[in-house]
Amino acid sequence: MTAAGRDDGDVTDEATPTRASSGRRLRLVVAGVLTVAIVLLVGVALGRLSSPNPVTPGTDSVEAGFSRDMQVHHEQAVQMAMMVRDRTDDPDVRSLAYDLALTQSQQAGQMYAWLELWRVPQAPSEPTMTWMTRPTLDGDYGSHHMTGDGGAGGSATPVATHEPGGRMPGLATDEQLASLDAARGVEAERIFLTLMIAHHEGGIEMADAILARSEVPQVRAFASGMVQTQQSEVEAMQAMLAERG
Amino acid sequence: MASSDKPTDKPTVKQQRDARRQEKVAELKRQQARAKRNRTIGIVTASVAGAAVVALVVTFVVTSGQPRQDPQAIEVDGVKTYSDLTANHVGGTVDYAMTPPAGGDHNQVWLNCGVYTEPVPNENAVHDLEHGAVWFTYDPEQVSESEIEALRDFAPDTYAVVSPYEGLDSPMYVSAWGAQLPFSNVADDEATVSDFVTKYWKSTNAPEPGAPCTGGVDGTGKIA
Repeated sequence: MTAAGRDDGDVTDEATPTRASSGRRLRLVVAGVLTVAIVLLVGVALGRLSSPNPVTPGTDSVEAGFSRDMQVHHEQAVQMAMMVRDRTDDPDVRSLAYDLALTQSQQAGQMYAWLELWRVPQAPSEPTMTWMTRPTLDGDYGSHHMTGDGGAGGSATPVATHEPGGRMPGLATDEQLASLDAARGVEAERIFLTLMIAHHEGGIEMADAILARSEVPQVRAFASGMVQTQQSEVEAMQAMLAERG
Repeated sequence: MASSDKPTDKPTVKQQRDARRQEKVAELKRQQARAKRNRTIGIVTASVAGAAVVALVVTFVVTSGQPRQDPQAIEVDGVKTYSDLTANHVGGTVDYAMTPPAGGDHNQVWLNCGVYTEPVPNENAVHDLEHGAVWFTYDPEQVSESEIEALRDFAPDTYAVVSPYEGLDSPMYVSAWGAQLPFSNVADDEATVSDFVTKYWKSTNAPEPGAPCTGGVDGTGKIA
C-alpha cells in the first residue's frame, strides 16, 4: 500500500507539471482565438452599424413593397403616355408624353434593379399596398395621410385608409383605359391629362408613404425626386387641361 | 542551536516521514486549489466571451434586416427547364419544342397581357415570355368553370397571360421563358404554382424582363 501510494505520488509529481503546462497552453490558445474573434466581430459590428446604409431590405420590407407596386404604377403611366402619342398630333401633349414615358420607364428599371440587388423576388410576397399599411418611422399607422397631406400633395382623395390588396391610388381602371383607347385628338388629350393628373397624385401619395417609412437613402432620394417632379408636372398638366376646356 | 541543546528533540525517522508526507499533502492541496481557481477563472472567462459572441450574433441578425428570399434559390417541385432557347423575330408559325411553348423564336409583336377566353397565337405569347411574363394555359376539356375562375383570380394583374390551350397533357400549365410547370388546378397546387410565380415572374431568366406587356396586339376574347 505504502509503496503503491508512493509510486502514485511520484507519478503525480512528474506528470502534473506537464499536464498543467499543456492545459495552460490550451487555455492561452483558446483565449487568444476568442479575443481575436471578439475584436473582429466588434469591429465589423461597429462598421456595419455606423455605415450609412446598414440594412438591405428583405422581401417583406416596405422598400421592396414600394419598388414592386411603383413599378406597376409606372408601367401604366408609360402605357397611357404611349397611347396618347398615337392618338394626337398636338406637339405639347406628345412631348409631355414622350418625357413621361421615358422617365417612368427608366425609373421602373431602377426599382427593378434594386430588387435584384437586394436579392428578393420581383413577384410580390404579400398583397399590393400592404407596405402602405405598415407603421411609419414615427410609429403612426398611416395617419400621415389622414392629417391633410392632401393639401400639400394636391391629393383629391380624402380616403386615407389603404388595405392590403387594395387598388393603388391614381391607377386608371380598365374602363378608363378603354375610353382613352377609343378617343382621338383633343378628346384623347383631355382624357389623358385627366387620368395622368390623378395618376401622378396617386404616385405622389405612394412616394410620400415610403418617405414616411423608409430610411434607405437610395429609396428616399428616388421618392423625393418623384414627389418634386410629379408635383410640377401635375401643375403643368392642369394648365394644359384648362387650355383644352 | 536550541536543537543541538536538545538532541532528544531530533525527529525520528517516522516523524520525518510524516512531515514529508504532510508537506506533500499540503503541496497537493495547494495545487488542487490553484487548479480550481484557474478552472473558475476559465469558466467565467469562457462564459463572458460566449455571452459576448451570442450578443454580437443577435446584433447581426437584428441589423441585417428582414429575411431575404433569393428567387434563384427557390426550387420549384416538378418544373421543367429549357436552356439555349433562340429568341429571333420571325414571321409565320413556329414549331415549338414543347407544348405549350416556353420560349423560342417569336413574332415581332407581343400579345397584350391579360385574361383571354379564346386561344392566343403562340408566336405573340412567346414574345411576352421574353419580356418576363408568365403564361397560364388550361385545357378546356380537362378543367371546370370554377377552376378557370380560380386560375384567373390567382394570376398576377400584370405580366401574365391566361388563355385556353387545347390538347394539353395536363389540365393546366404555367410557363415562363425557359421554364414550365404542369399542374391540376390552383386549389390543389397553390404552393408549387406560387413558387413558380415567385421565381419566374419578371425574372432575369427572361431575356428582357420589364419590357412592355401592353401596347402590343390583342388576341380574341380578351376580357381583362
